[in-house]
Amino acid sequence: MKDNLPDKDGFFGEYGGKFVPETLMYALNELEQTYKTLKDNNDFNAEFHRDLAEFVGRPSPLYFAKRLTEHYNTASIWLKREDLNHTGAHKINNTVGQILLAKYMGKKRIIAETGAGQHGVATATVAARLGLDCHIYMGSEDVRRQSLNVYRMKLLGAEVHEVNSGSATLKDALNEALRDWVTNIEDTYYIIGSVTGPHPYPMIVRDFNAVVGYELIDQSQESFGRMPDSIIACVGGGSNAMGIFYPFIKMDNVELIGVEAAGKGIETGEHAAPLNDGTPGVLHGAKSYLMQDKSGQVKGTASISAGLDYPGVGPEHSWLKDVKRAKYVAVSDDEVMKAFHMVNKMEGILPALETAHAFAYLDELMPNMNKDQHIVINVSGRGDKDLNSVVEIEDIKL
Amino acid sequence: MKRIEKKLKELSQDNQKAFVGYIVAGDPDLETSLQLMHLSVDSGVDILEIGVPFTDPIAEGPTIQQAHDRSLENETNLQKIIDLICKFREKDTNTPIILMGYINNFLMYKDLINRSHELGVDGVLVVDIPGELSLEDYGIDNQDLDIISLVSPTTSKERVKEIVKNSTGFIYYVTLRGVTGSSNLDGNEIEQNIKYIKSISSIPVMAGFGIKNSDDAKLLSSFSDGIVIGSSIVELIYKNSENKDFHEVSDYISNMKDAIR
Ligand SMILES: Cc1ncc(COP(=O)(O)O)c(C=O)c1O
Repeated sequence: MKDNLPDKDGFFGEYGGKFVPETLMYALNELEQTYKTLKDNNDFNAEFHRDLAEFVGRPSPLYFAKRLTEHYNTASIWLKREDLNHTGAHKINNTVGQILLAKYMGKKRIIAETGAGQHGVATATVAARLGLDCHIYMGSEDVRRQSLNVYRMKLLGAEVHEVNSGSATLKDALNEALRDWVTNIEDTYYIIGSVTGPHPYPMIVRDFNAVVGYELIDQSQESFGRMPDSIIACVGGGSNAMGIFYPFIKMDNVELIGVEAAGKGIETGEHAAPLNDGTPGVLHGAKSYLMQDKSGQVKGTASISAGLDYPGVGPEHSWLKDVKRAKYVAVSDDEVMKAFHMVNKMEGILPALETAHAFAYLDELMPNMNKDQHIVINVSGRGDKDLNSVVEIEDIKL
Repeated sequence: MKRIEKKLKELSQDNQKAFVGYIVAGDPDLETSLQLMHLSVDSGVDILEIGVPFTDPIAEGPTIQQAHDRSLENETNLQKIIDLICKFREKDTNTPIILMGYINNFLMYKDLINRSHELGVDGVLVVDIPGELSLEDYGIDNQDLDIISLVSPTTSKERVKEIVKNSTGFIYYVTLRGVTGSSNLDGNEIEQNIKYIKSISSIPVMAGFGIKNSDDAKLLSSFSDGIVIGSSIVELIYKNSENKDFHEVSDYISNMKDAIR
C-alpha cells in the first residue's frame, strides 16, 4: 500500500486538494513551500523533537491494560497514552510543529478553530510560549459544553471568539477562522487542528502527529516483540487516527480501525459519521466524505463529544476507506458513556469523550480476537475537560 | 456572440462601465427574487450575479451569510434557481446572468449546470475553485458557459497569467483581503493590479468586494471595466423584506449607476 501521498496537487486519490477562495492560494502556497524546505532540515527537526521531549513530555508510554484485557479475555489490550501529554491530548504534537513553521515564516498572529477546546488550548499554549498574539474561534454550543477549556485558553492569554453562525459548533468555527485568515492573510498563521482543510494541512498535521505511530513501532517491538494486530483510534477530523495509522499503512497485516461518532444512532441521521453514512463532497477546502443532503448542503451533526461533532473528515481517511486499507465503524453516545465508565473503573484512566469512542468499539471487536493477539488503542486525550458535560448528561447532583 | 461579451461590448461602445449586481436567490423568497431581478435591471444593473446559497460560504461576510441562511430556510436549491432564471428569461433575454456559488452545490447538479446555458444562464463563478484549475476536471463542461474567475490582491503574477488563460467573460478582481462586505479598499494597489491584468490580456476586468458608496464606485470604475456590488444591495433587500417595498433598492442602484457613468 502506498504511503507517499498526497500527490503534488494535494490529492489522496480523488480526495483532498485546495478548494479555496483565490485570496488564500497565496498563503497555502507559501506554507507548502516553507514546509517543503523545512521538513528535511536538521535544525528544524531537532527543535521539533526537543520540544516534543522537553515540553510535551514524549515519548508517551505504551501501557498494558491488564484488567481490560482480563475482562475481554482474548487479545492483549495496549494503550498509547497521548492523554499524558502536556495539555492532555495528542493535539499538542501538531501545534508544537506548526508554531515552529509560523516562527520560521515570521508570522506574528496565530489563529485556530477548536471544537472540544483541546486544540484551542494546545494552540494558546504554544503561542504563549513564543509570546504571539492568539485568536481562537469556537462555536457557542462548544463554549458552553467545554467551558473549562475556554477559561484555560483565556488564562494562556488567547482571545476566544464565540461563533454563533450555522450550528455553532466546530464546522462553523472553522468557517470563521478561514474568514479571519482571508482578511489578515499576510501577518497571520492559521494552525488548523486536524488533518482537514486544504492542502498542505492534511499532510502537515498528519506528519506532526505521526510521531505517535513511529514511537508505537519501537514500543510494540519492545513490549510484545512484533507489530500490533489492530490499531484503534477515534475519528473526528482524524488527526489522532492518522498520526497513529500513518507509519503502519504499508504494513498490510496491521489492521487499522477508525471509530466515528454514531451519536443517537446512524439510522436516526443524528450522528457525526461521514465515513459510515456520508458521500464525497467539498467542505473547508478539501474533497472528502461529507454529511450532506441531495442539494449539496452540509447537514447538522450530533455527538456527545464536541471534538467529533464535525460533518467532514480528513481526505486521507476517505482514501484509506475507498482503497479498503482502513476500516471505519461507529459507536453511539450510549455505548460511549458505558465505555467511559468502564475505563475509569477498570484502568484508573479518565478518557476524553472523544477517546471513549475508541474504547466503545471493544465490545464488538474483542470477541473475535484470540489470546495471542495484541491490539493498541490510541488514548487521544484525557477527560478532565468533559466532567461538566458528564455531570450534565447523567444528571448528577454534586 | 455570447450575452456577456455582447453586453460589455455595447457598454464600452457607449463609453459606459458595467454594473454587476449580486442578489441571493431565494432571499427573502424565490418569487420576490424574480421581482428583484427585474427591478435591478430596470434601475441600472447590467449583469446579474445570482448567489447560490450554501450552508458554509467561507468567502462571505455576515450580511451575505445571513442571506444564504434565510434562503436555505426556504429550501432553495440549484434546480429551483434555474427555474427562477427560466421565468426571468420570459421577459428579459438581454441581461447576462452569472451563477455565483460554491463547488459543493455545483457538483450535485453537474448535469443541470451543463444544460443551464440553454435555460438562460451565461456564466458561472465558483468561489472555491482556484482559477488555474479547470471546472472541466470536475465535470462542469459546457463551452457556451463563461467561466468567471477571481483574481485577488495576493495572487502572484504567474498565477494571474494562468487564471486569465482559463477565464472567459470577464475577470472578477477582488478588491480587498477579506470577505464580502468588508471595507478597506486600497485604490492605488487595485489600480496597479488591474493595470497588470490589462497588460497581459484583453479580457474585461470587473472590480468588486467592499464597494459601498458612490465614491468607491466612481474610484474603482475609473480603472476597471465595471464594478460588482453585493452586500449593500443584499442588506437593503433584507431591510425592506417585511413590507416588500423595494424602492430603496432601486434608488441605491440608480445612484451607483450614475456614479460610474
Ligand atoms: C482528545 C481528543 N481526541 C480526538 C479528537 C478528535 O480529533 P481528531 O479526529 O483530529 O483526532 C479531539 C478533538 O478535539 C480530542 O480533543
